This record gives sequence, structure tokens and C-alpha cells, in this order.
Amino acid sequence: MSCQPELVTGYVDGALAVDERERIAAHLRDCAECRAQADQERMIRARLRELPPPEPRPGLENDLRAGLRRRRPGRLRVLLPLAAAALAIAVLWLRGSPAAVARVVVFDHVKCFRHERPPAHIFSHDASEVGSWFGNQGTSMPQFPARIAGLVLEGARYCPLLDGTSVAHVYYRDSHRHVSLFVIPRALRLETELTTNAFGRSVRLLGREDQTLAVVGESGDDVDKLSAALLTRSASVVR
Amino acid sequence: MGTLRPSGDREETFAAEALPLFRALYATARRLTGNVQDAEDLVQETYLRGFRAFDRFEPGTNLRAWLYSILHNARTDALRKRRPMRIVDEPVEDGPAQAPEQHQLGAELDLEKALARVPEVFREALILRDIEELSYEEIARALDIPIGTVMSRLYRGRAVLRQALQEPTV
Repeated sequence: MSCQPELVTGYVDGALAVDERERIAAHLRDCAECRAQADQERMIRARLRELPPPEPRPGLENDLRAGLRRRRPGRLRVLLPLAAAALAIAVLWLRGSPAAVARVVVFDHVKCFRHERPPAHIFSHDASEVGSWFGNQGTSMPQFPARIAGLVLEGARYCPLLDGTSVAHVYYRDSHRHVSLFVIPRALRLETELTTNAFGRSVRLLGREDQTLAVVGESGDDVDKLSAALLTRSASVVR
Repeated sequence: MGTLRPSGDREETFAAEALPLFRALYATARRLTGNVQDAEDLVQETYLRGFRAFDRFEPGTNLRAWLYSILHNARTDALRKRRPMRIVDEPVEDGPAQAPEQHQLGAELDLEKALARVPEVFREALILRDIEELSYEEIARALDIPIGTVMSRLYRGRAVLRQALQEPTV
């Protein structure tokens, strides 16, 4: 067998498989040169093993520990996800809360009627035209009047509310009064209806199966009348 | 992600298990880099990387060997970044000369100096095997090389070291 010095290294380190180990052992008995290599490698190994390690400076361990501590997930990284979860729960709760929804729709009512002409997507005095415009976009509308208490249907649009919901918003107005009908595509925690005030506006919330109707106006009387019209099935024929 | 630990415990566990090994890691880093500053940087980087990757460490396997693989990668990255600058600034040496340690005896000093003259690729294998006493399998995993390569690097490393020991030191 010819010399295989790398396998001699493996032999010295006890890293060879049994058959190879036996082969190299047999070779070493015959080969003085490989025997010398094995002896020298053993000697080098022994000397290296005895070599005292370079000593670190005394403060290094503390520095390393401090370095790790700086990388520890801080309070914020633990608290932020908790805060986000709490906020999400709060938003969900608010989305079902009549009082919160009343405020959100009043805010939108004020915002839309702040303009000389409300920012409708469809301008029409025809209730069935507005109703089918919403129907074409997948929103089932209640039957609503074209005129109520001297107010005229002006138009409608989808409004993004502050809570992220997109709702149908129908505008009624005359020269100085404004009434909004909102169709919110979800039920609230509501018995059947709720009348309240928010930001100086009167609000009526009417619960339906999977919708909530919200009527908003400056005058409680106007809100009452539109709400009554919505509740009576004859509302659509009032023109 | 492997084994999940509660993140609060993670730092504690890692610090408790890995920090006691810092002397061995430092000694290896010192012999690889040849100077105190680079060695400290390397050990620091090794611990930070180890901490970040600790989720992937398999409990029950050799933590020291795992840390050496991280140290090896950190060293490789550091050399990759630095090499072009070195070429401009100063001649590249295979093994940077060691500053003599006060407490070392003459023979040990000679051995340390001779070791520093062994090219790093062989020196690293020698340190892991003959000083840190890792198995061939552990070295192969740490350096990401086949076991046959571990054997040949050790053969070459010991041969170069033997030669360096016989030559008069510069």
C-alpha cells in the first residue's frame, strides 16, 4: 500500500472507519516515514492542547452581557402588540356601539353638508333611481321617500366612515335644513331603535336584520318624519 | 422557527448557556484574528448573531460547536468586507503576528508564533481540533465542509506548523 498521509492524520485523530483504521495501522507497521508523521502529529496535538489560552481583558464578559441585554426585546416590543390588540378590540366594540356609530354618522353628515352642494355620486330627485343605483352596486336599500317634510331628495353616494365602514348616504335638503339617511351594512347592539344627539344633531338609529339605518338632521322633527316614513312600507310612494 | 421559547426566557437561557463559553471563543477569535480589537469584535458579533439565531439551536447538541460555526461565518463576513482595504493599506499576511503574551514560556511563545504563521484556513481547523477538541463531524458542520476536507486541512495545518516550528521566527 502506498502512503496516504491524510489518512494518517485521520488515524491519529481516531476519525477513521474500522476497515480504514486497520489498513492504516498495518501500513504504519511497515512505513517508518508515516510512523514519524503520526508521532509528530501526536506531539503537535499534545503541545497545542497544552497551550494556555490568550486571556481576555477583565471587562469583556460584562461587555458581552451588556451587549446581549441591549438586544433584549424591550418593554415596547412586548407592549406594542398588546396595545394593537387592545385597539383592535376597542374598534370592534365601537363598531357595534350605537353611541359610537351615532357620532361617526353625524360627523359624516356635517362633513358632506358643509359643501354648497353635497358631494354626491348620483344627483337625482327620484327615489327609485337612487335606490336602483345602490341596488346595482350590491346594496339593498329600504324604501325611502323622494320628499319628506318639505325636504327634497338631492342625491346619494357611498361614504367612508371614520371607523372604516363604507355606507350608503342619501341626502335630503331644502334651503337651510339637511337630513341624511345612512344605510350601515351591519347590525349594532341595538334593541330596535335609538334616538340620541351628537354634536348638536339629532340621530335616530333603526335596527334591521343585518343593517342599521341612521337618520341625521338638525331638527328632531325632520328626523322623526323620515324615520316614520322608512318604517311605513308606503314610504316609496310619498313623492 | 424551530423550537419556540418564551422571549423573556430566551435572553436568560442564551446568556446562561453561552456566556460561560466566552473564554474559549475569545481565545479562538484571538488566534484567528491575531489582535485584541478584532478578536473582541468577532466575539461580540458571534454572541449577537447567536442570540438572534438561538431559536434555531437544537437543544442537546453541542452549543460550543454551534457558536464556532457562527464565529466562523462572522469571521468570513468580516474578512470579505475588510480585504480590499487591507490590500491598499498594508501587505496581507497569512497569519498576523501575535503580540507576545507576558505569561507565556519560551516554547509556548514559539508555538503560538508558529501557529500564527499557518494560513488561516488550516489554522482554523487546527484550533478547532487540537485546541478546542471538536470532533471531525462538528468541525465539518461548523465550517460547512466535508469530513474529508477537515482531514486534509488538519494534515496540511500540522505539516505547515511543524515546518514553522523548525524555521527561525522572523
